[in-house]
Amino acid sequence: MMLPSLMLALNDAAAGHGSLADAVIPKAVAAPELRWAGWILLLPAISAVLCTLLAVLRTKSKLPALVTVLSLGTCFAMVLKLYLSRGPDAGPVVVHLWDWMNFSWGGGPWKSFQADISLYIDSLTMLWMLFVTGLGTLIAVYASEYMEGERGAGYCRFFFGVSIFLLAMSALVMADNLLLLYLGWEGVGLASYLLIGFYYQKPAAVAAGKKAFIMNRIGDLGLAIGIWLIWVNYGSIEFNTLFQAFGDAARGVGGWDRSLIPFCLMLGAFGKSAQLPLFTWLPDAMEGPTPVSALIHAATMVTAGVYLIARMQPLFTLHPDAMATVAWVGALTALLSATIGMAQYDIKRVFAYSTVSQLGYMFMGLGVGTAFGAAYHVFTHAFFKALLFLTAGAVMHGFAGQLDLRRLSGLRKVPGFAIVSWTMLVGCLWLSAFPYTAGFFSKDLILVQAMSQPRFQVLGWIGLITAAMTAYYTFRVWFRVCAGPVSYVPGEDAHAHDDHGDHGHDDHGHGAKAHDAHAGEFHPHAPRFAINGVLLLICLGAILAGIPGIQALRGQHNWVQEMVYHSSAVRASGVDHVTTPVAFGLDPHGVVSVFGISAAIGGILIALWLHLLDRRMADRIRTALLSNGLTRWLPTSMENKWYFDEIYHALFRLPMWITSHLLHFFDRHFIDGLLVNGIGRVPVMVGRLFQPLYNGALQGYATSMAGGLILVLAWVAWRWLGAGGVS
Amino acid sequence: MMHLLADAAPAMAPTQGVTIALVLSAALFTVGLIGFLVRRNMILMFLCTELMLQAAGIAFIAFGRMRMDTSGQVFVIFILTVAAAEAALALGLVVLLYRRRETLSAEAWQELHEQ
Amino acid sequence: MNPTDQLASAPLMPFYVAAAIAAAGLLLVLRPGRAAMRRAGAVIGLAGFGMLMAQGLKLAGPSDGSVSTPFYMAFAAIGVIGAVRVITHPRPVFAAIYFVLTVLAAGGIFLMLQAEFLAFALIIVYAGAILITYMFVLMLAHQSPEDEIGRIGAEDYDRIPREPLVATLLGFFLMASLGSVIERAPELAMENAAIAQSRATADRAAALQKLPNTMLQQAKAKEPTATGLARDAGGLASATDGAMVQVRVNAEGDAVRTVQVNPADAVDNVQMVGLDLVAKYPASLELAGVILLMAMFGAVVLARRQIELGDDERRKAAGMGSMVLDVPETERGGA
Repeated sequence: MMLPSLMLALNDAAAGHGSLADAVIPKAVAAPELRWAGWILLLPAISAVLCTLLAVLRTKSKLPALVTVLSLGTCFAMVLKLYLSRGPDAGPVVVHLWDWMNFSWGGGPWKSFQADISLYIDSLTMLWMLFVTGLGTLIAVYASEYMEGERGAGYCRFFFGVSIFLLAMSALVMADNLLLLYLGWEGVGLASYLLIGFYYQKPAAVAAGKKAFIMNRIGDLGLAIGIWLIWVNYGSIEFNTLFQAFGDAARGVGGWDRSLIPFCLMLGAFGKSAQLPLFTWLPDAMEGPTPVSALIHAATMVTAGVYLIARMQPLFTLHPDAMATVAWVGALTALLSATIGMAQYDIKRVFAYSTVSQLGYMFMGLGVGTAFGAAYHVFTHAFFKALLFLTAGAVMHGFAGQLDLRRLSGLRKVPGFAIVSWTMLVGCLWLSAFPYTAGFFSKDLILVQAMSQPRFQVLGWIGLITAAMTAYYTFRVWFRVCAGPVSYVPGEDAHAHDDHGDHGHDDHGHGAKAHDAHAGEFHPHAPRFAINGVLLLICLGAILAGIPGIQALRGQHNWVQEMVYHSSAVRASGVDHVTTPVAFGLDPHGVVSVFGISAAIGGILIALWLHLLDRRMADRIRTALLSNGLTRWLPTSMENKWYFDEIYHALFRLPMWITSHLLHFFDRHFIDGLLVNGIGRVPVMVGRLFQPLYNGALQGYATSMAGGLILVLAWVAWRWLGAGGVS
Repeated sequence: MMHLLADAAPAMAPTQGVTIALVLSAALFTVGLIGFLVRRNMILMFLCTELMLQAAGIAFIAFGRMRMDTSGQVFVIFILTVAAAEAALALGLVVLLYRRRETLSAEAWQELHEQ
Repeated sequence: MNPTDQLASAPLMPFYVAAAIAAAGLLLVLRPGRAAMRRAGAVIGLAGFGMLMAQGLKLAGPSDGSVSTPFYMAFAAIGVIGAVRVITHPRPVFAAIYFVLTVLAAGGIFLMLQAEFLAFALIIVYAGAILITYMFVLMLAHQSPEDEIGRIGAEDYDRIPREPLVATLLGFFLMASLGSVIERAPELAMENAAIAQSRATADRAAALQKLPNTMLQQAKAKEPTATGLARDAGGLASATDGAMVQVRVNAEGDAVRTVQVNPADAVDNVQMVGLDLVAKYPASLELAGVILLMAMFGAVVLARRQIELGDDERRKAAGMGSMVLDVPETERGGA
């Protein structure tokens, strides 16, 4: 076996970086010469404005796409220039762009508040920005063809959303303070909401948008409270100041609210990255157009949570319990969503659950202490998951919205779908961590880190089981859809096929309507240049993303590792290397790679058997499981997503519904009825009492006036003039 | 002629006379008020207010005499002015109202809204 | 001492009783009923008013020996009778004429209270102008109905009083409250008599200084040789020493004589009122003029015939076009 020795080399390399990691985070220096980086924020904003203008001008052309692609491409070029001008191991810099908030109410700490629109640029920022802008550009190109059926107002709206998303995501990643990060955080949430609900005439899309938004709000509340607590405890929300403050805080003891901070931030991260308590929105978010699913809900936005925790790693290092929580939540989410993903029939849903699962891996990586592994997995995942979604989108585009893997087969032999099929195979291999693919390296880093710490070994096993499941359900999709005999049933958008009006209706794969009548007339709509080109480019990117892994394996300094190790994510924690050299009495790397490879290949083989060689077998197993009373719960709960939505419904929505109705009753009959209207009725009743006085008769009023006058006069007489000699 | 009826001026104020004048003033005012309340004829209601003005005038004159001061008389001149103005305007209004309803009864105008 | 005893021992108690009797009488007069009842009411009411005046006299203290008190009482009685007739007479024109009676009685009282100018002004303005206006309006507005045999009757709303009991009760309370003012008045007059007297004298002396013609006339009565008022550098050389005014006049030859003039004799009440009006209250005088002017405007506006304008006419008057566009020109306008 060659692997163990390679892994040893990696171990050395990691140890070599360990000394680097122990260093104090260097203070960021101001870099006014980099002010041009502000254009990275400005360009998407300009593009959004232009898209709005084009919508106002009622353009029917592809101009919005051109504008967006150009601006995003320029952004990518600028990020690339920034990266090249800095080099991978440069220290952090702060670029002040504009003043935003700068309050001061007296001298001293906690007497001022500063949050400017400034950029904090270190290698972690650069890593994220590179794939965010790069993939953003490519997916915008893809979408220019994919969304062409919507040309007109919808087209502008779509690219407006994409521009806003890129603006917000850039602000999130490049922010130099938590408030700007929060602004970006909310901005991506808004963009996500707008784009999930893109087909706003479809109730399911609207509901999914709302669900995503509300779920995210719960997390955002945690983040907001966390930011407030950070300000209260550390007196600043600027990363530069904070990282120094964390260094001091490491020596001091904080109160309970200080220990609460990482959990609050975690809540935000779990909401945005769809982790265990708050993950149910992401699969539903696939109601949006597929490019959106690829860009926002697979590659970039959902990694914001990972970014947040990686960015605040110096804080999390102070709280080992918080780290463990992150690891456990990540691992459990990975396992749970993998089980759900195995039982789904909708291709996009399978990929959505795989996204949740892979995000779980990333959090597990952060939790067990390998920011490098997590960041690398984010990086590789961004490519192969975007690739998978884009191929799914191409399939959907071509087959009138058909996404049910039981109704599609042998696509690689359908004319025009060869590139789609083979790039999907690449994505599947990468996702299932086939040896020597990028996914393999990144997943392996996380598993090794977990396995080699006794307290996280359980997580390692969970990760391995998840890896096997991932391989199985990934190839279940590929063997079903791309391999086998050619047969397909077009989706419900078939009528719209001729005018290219088909778009992402993806949730009706389970629909009972048969389309056999159409099958004879239906011709798949093969993807054209833009989609194929982008697929190939991202495929190339996914393949290239493996290079750092190979370098790491060889013990060479690799690019991603450099990037992560020169950022605050690792410098503060100093734990980003294997702390125990052995697992199971052996070298951990060797053992884990063997396990990982076996899991991946085992999963693929099972999928090969059940879904290509003997497709009926899968159904037979399912029927057998269902017919047995003891095992019936397994497939049903997996297919029903472990009843999470139903549980949430019972736990939160139902009590809230009941409470709201009770409160409504209370409000209507007590507040409105008794208090508001009751108080209103008092003057009415008093008025009724005195109504006879106001009969319109002049003398009646005169009588009242005279009576009042006499009363006043009598009182004056009695009081001052001493009438009756009594005074 | 000047001292025909009045006491020699400026002798001390005639206490009894002033008091009688005040009683008259109070009585006229009271009668005017009662009249305003009991009469239904709009013109006569205004006449009753004139009665009350008259009473006020008498009180002014009486107190002025008591204090050996002519300011009270000056005030009565203003009361006359106001009474004249009021008579002109009020009667004009009454005529307008009469034109609408063909009656002088104040009770014809009990409805507070316009027809 | 409980409140009832307090009230019973109050000096105003008889006053209240008299007011109550007068009110009861008035109520009887007001209520439309048999003529005998009303006459009895008139008697009771008059008796009550007499008691009120008697109480007033009692409050005023011992007689000051003035002979005019019976005149006061007579005028007061006439005034009250007139007023009561104003509010009880079923025919409006007669009510207005009775108001004239009240005005005349008030004029008499004014005259006795040394308000000669106002006494006549009152009669001229009220009886002569305002009341005539009332009568005009009464006659213009409404003709009293006639019954079948041609007797002039009265409208129901003139015959039947409105809520006489409530009104009389209110009137009683008002009268009772005013009693406390009447009670205190003589007392205050006595207290301030000396001050009032001296101030009045000083006022008249000061007024005399402003009236050189009167001054010369008075001086001539004392010093027939006087040719004119003496002047020095500061103007008239007269001076006042409190009660009397020392008037220096140029007499025969070049002699300058000093003559004592009593301002109380020299300046009469009308002159004092006139001086007050123009010297002390000029702004109020102007204001009164403005009020009259406004009243005149108001009367003119009210008296103008009200023409109901339609929307179109109003728009036309405001310089706008007609709202109805398809109406031919000839059909536009018109009432």
